[in-house]
Formats: sequence, C-alpha cells, structure tokens
Amino acid sequence: MAMTKKFQGPIEPIDANRWRIPKSWRADMRVDGILYCSRELIDDALNGGGCDQVANVATLPGIVTASMAMPDIHWGYGFPIGGVAATDVEAGGVISPGGVGYDINCGVRLLRSDLTAQDVRPRLKELVDQLFRDMPAGVGVGGPFQFSGGEIAKILAGGSRYLVSRGLASEEDLAATESGGCLDDADPDAVSKEACHRGADQCGTLGSGNHFAEVQVVDHVFDRDAAEAWGLAEGQVTFMIHCGSRGLGHQVCEDYIRALRTVPAQYGITLPDRQLVCAPVDSPPGRQYLGAMRAAANFAWANRQLLVHILRATLARFFGRSAESLGLRQVYDVAHNIAKLETHVVDGLPRKLCVHRKGATRAFPAGHGELAPAYRKTGQPVLIPGDMGRASYVLVGTAGAMEQTFGSTCHGAGRVMSRQAAIARARGRRIDQELAAVGIIARARGRTGLAEEQPEAYKDVDAVVECVHQAGLSRKVARLKPMGVVKG
Amino acid sequence: MAKSYETIDHPADAGLEARADTLAELLEALAEGMAELICPPSSVAPAAWRTVAVVAEDLEAAAVDFLSAVLKVIQVEHFMVAQVSVREATGNALSAEVAGEPYDPAKHELAREIKAVTYHQLKIARGEDGRWFGRVIFDL
Repeated sequence: MAMTKKFQGPIEPIDANRWRIPKSWRADMRVDGILYCSRELIDDALNGGGCDQVANVATLPGIVTASMAMPDIHWGYGFPIGGVAATDVEAGGVISPGGVGYDINCGVRLLRSDLTAQDVRPRLKELVDQLFRDMPAGVGVGGPFQFSGGEIAKILAGGSRYLVSRGLASEEDLAATESGGCLDDADPDAVSKEACHRGADQCGTLGSGNHFAEVQVVDHVFDRDAAEAWGLAEGQVTFMIHCGSRGLGHQVCEDYIRALRTVPAQYGITLPDRQLVCAPVDSPPGRQYLGAMRAAANFAWANRQLLVHILRATLARFFGRSAESLGLRQVYDVAHNIAKLETHVVDGLPRKLCVHRKGATRAFPAGHGELAPAYRKTGQPVLIPGDMGRASYVLVGTAGAMEQTFGSTCHGAGRVMSRQAAIARARGRRIDQELAAVGIIARARGRTGLAEEQPEAYKDVDAVVECVHQAGLSRKVARLKPMGVVKG
Repeated sequence: MAKSYETIDHPADAGLEARADTLAELLEALAEGMAELICPPSSVAPAAWRTVAVVAEDLEAAAVDFLSAVLKVIQVEHFMVAQVSVREATGNALSAEVAGEPYDPAKHELAREIKAVTYHQLKIARGEDGRWFGRVIFDL
C-alpha cells in the first residue's frame, strides 16, 4: 500500500532554490508555504509526502512569514522533517509537539583531533570494533551510567551543565554547545514518572535507527578562515555523534500529544491532522509542554556529553595518549529537533517567536548575541550528518538565514526510501562488505540496521548542502568523509 | 484464521495492518505485530506476565494508548513479549495480560527500537462484513 502520493497542490518557482505553495490554495492556510529546494531535488520533495504537511503547518494559529521546509524535506508526523515554523507568542501563537518530533533535541556533536587519516587507517578496523564495544546502544539494556531519580531531575534542569559538577563535562565543552548545553526554565516536574523511568538507564546511550558514532576524515575545506578557527584541516580525523533524548524524549512527546488531544478544541483551533495538536505558547498547557520539552532537550545534551566522555576515554586508551594530547576538542553541538523562544524581525519589528525546527538546524551568523564569544567572529558551526557511505558537512550560519528562515538551515540528507524498501533492496547483499570495499568499516547491532541505513536510502547530501549554500542559509566550511561507522 | 497482521510500507517508518473477527483479537494482533517488530515472539517464552489497562475518549485514542502501554512494558521494564491476551475491550476501555520474559541478550535478538505509536493514518473500525480492521504507524 502506498502511504504517500505526489503533491497535488500548486507549487510556483520563486528562484533557482525556492518554491512557493500559495496560501490561496487552501482556505485554512494563514501564510504561504516556502520550500527551499533545487531543481535537482524537487521531484523527491514532491513525491515524499512532506509538501501537504507544509500546507497543514501553514494553518497553525499565530504563524508568521511562511511555513518553511528545507531541501532535506520528507514526510514526518504532523510537521514534515525539514520543517521550520515560527509563531508569534503575543499574537496567540501556538507550540506543537509535532513541530519538535518524538526525539526531542535529536542533534549532532563533532570533535576534531590532531590525528590524521594515515595515523588511523592501519588500525581502523580495530578502532571501530573497540568503539562498537564501548559506545552503548542502550537497546534492551541500559548504559554504564546509572543515575538516581534525584540526579535525573538535575540533568533535566541543568543539561550538560550539571555534568560539569560530576567531572563529566568541561566549561570548554559547554561553550562549544548550542545554548551552552542547557535551556533555562526547563520544568522537570512536567516530565512524567514513566518518561523518567524510560530514560533513567539510557543517559549515555546511542539508540537505534539513524543514530551513529562515526570516525571521519576532513576531505575538503571550502572556507579556510572558519575551518582554521575551528581547528579543521584537510586530512585530519574527526569524530561525530548523532543521537537524541532516547526513551525519555519519546515519552515526553507521547505524553503531551495525548495531553493536548482535547486542547485545540478548547481554544477554538481546528486542525487538518491529529498529529498537529498544539496549545497557545502563552497558556497553561503550552507552558507545561514547553517546560517538559526543555527538560527533555537538556537530557539529550547530557546524553551526547556522556557519549563524548566515553569516546574520549576509548580513544585515549586505544592510542595510549591523553585526550588532550590527541587534540580532541569539541567543534560544536547542534540540536535539530527543538522549539525555542527567540526574537526575530518580522515586518520590520522585533517579535518574540516560538521557532519550531524539526529536522532543521539553527544557523546564527557572526555577531549574533546568543553565540558564545568564540563563535561571534565566525558565526555558528552547523553540523550536517549525511549517510554512512558518502559525506557529512560542517557549515557556518549566515545573515541570510536570519533574513529568510529565522536563522535556520537543513539538518541532513533526508530519506528517500522506506525502511521496508531498503531492506528489500539489500536482500542478498552484504552492506558492510560493500562499504568495506570503499574503505568504510561499519558495525551495527540490529538485524536490519545497515540495510535500512544503506546510502541509497538517502538523498545526496552534496545536493542538499549545495542548495542551502546557494540559497544563502549557511555556507560550506568543510566536507567530512566517513571512515568508520558504529550504529546502535 | 480469527486474526492476522502484516507489516506495511511507509516512507520513513513501519506500520501494521491487522484483521480479526473481534475487537479483542484485533488489538492482540496489533500488539503482537508491534512486539515482533522489536523481537521475534518465537524466541520469547511466556514465563511471566504483566497487565495493562487504559481508558480514553474514543476507541482509536484508546488503541494508541493501549499499544503505548504495551510498548512501555517492553521499553521501561525490558520485558520481551510472547503473547498478548485482551481481557476487556468494551468501547474505549481496554485491558490485557502480556505474557513474556525479561530481556536476555543471549536469547533475544533485537531488530530495532520503536519510539512511539502514532495517530497518523490510524484506523480501528468494523467493516461491512462484520470483521475488524486496524492500521497503525510506528515512529522508529
């Protein structure tokens, strides 16, 4: 059974990288839909089921400017993946758990090192096997860190910052993390006991699906100044982690989609899709979800921090040198499933907005007041994980993103093939051997993990990144090629 | 056969469609199908049991809550599922006994995690032939 059909609505080209779904198409749309997409990627976007969802999001109360989607758009629950929508808090703007996703603060962290590809290549298989043993997936059994209920509450309130007091994070790590690894005004009491139980033994675990830890090499530098400022040069080895808030975040999303089921009707809001349940940001249920979502986001930052702690320890043991002497430093950590209250200029006036980024990454430019001092001159690093066969990217935020997309850009390659179709295509093949033939060592725990995540299941990340670069939403800094992949 | 289920294709995730003679059997089929996406029930012994019970504002919402409750048993308690027996299925009140055993890495091969049971294209309905049909999509 086909679950999506080609987009049937009107779509008008604006320029080489932008398309409009006019609000005149549907009576319930409050703003236009704007799709960032090149000619090369438009068919995937129109066939992927996400464009109808861009129009659905355009119906949300308080939405300003446009319902936007990035070139990695594909179908999601309620909002499309790759969706960006901002609502005006003082004009009854809503917050929707569907605009954040089940994996709250799914995101990416990148470490650079002084190691070169030549240093690592001869022992790569051994290194990947060691990382596979040490990086806990947390599927079925928990990770090595056990936190009491009281400690979980501190993680929910303090995120990575709490881990500094435990010797598991440094001030340098926090400075190289979006929002310093902690959203203020998180409300641990708004997180259910079930969510805390589901997350208690999963802090410091990768999870399954598209999450991974990778050994990579800087393959090409596009922007020498930014790359140099962040310690990146061609031939150097980097380490990337992609994961989120694990079962705790999934449960928070589920709890609030359930809790908000009857709320839209109470506020006179009519929705085209039950997955878009929402509440005004400035209402008791809206504030409660925001507090719980921030707590789950803090849990995710702590989760990635703990994984990096494990990674550093493994690398130090493996190479027989300290993490410092290996030059292991955090380039940055970004969230790509989150809603944040930010001030942006709308129609010439500064407005307090609730910016939903679901499968989209913040891309603040040089000089932005929310960036840590180290990034004020360059702009914010933007980390784009690709598929395990091709490449990942480091970009930098731009003024163009502030002008067009509330400081947002794409988040990855974006799926084009269903998991079932990917498994069918992998039948009779050994994906690990195919990757090994091109020099990439991949390990996965699940029976179907590598088949579902095979490179062909994704859009070409080069094309996705080229589009946001050309559209002025972020600029290319460096391309990273995978050498070793550990899947949960 | 009184009940059956099959996985269905979906752009990003996984779904199930089930058919059964009764609502109770339909929910059993969906819950067992969901458990199979995580770990084959054939490798799980029905050595212990858990109970789940939910009440919601309508039948479809109750079905999502019911499957979410079974998922919670798997995810929170690391309890693998062999079989689900629905005891009550009256309108929007559902309860069941879930038979299985604690996760044992030596015995149970996990295929994937399920993040959540969703409302997308959700359908729980009785057809004109009197048989029940259910469709549910899971976020992976």
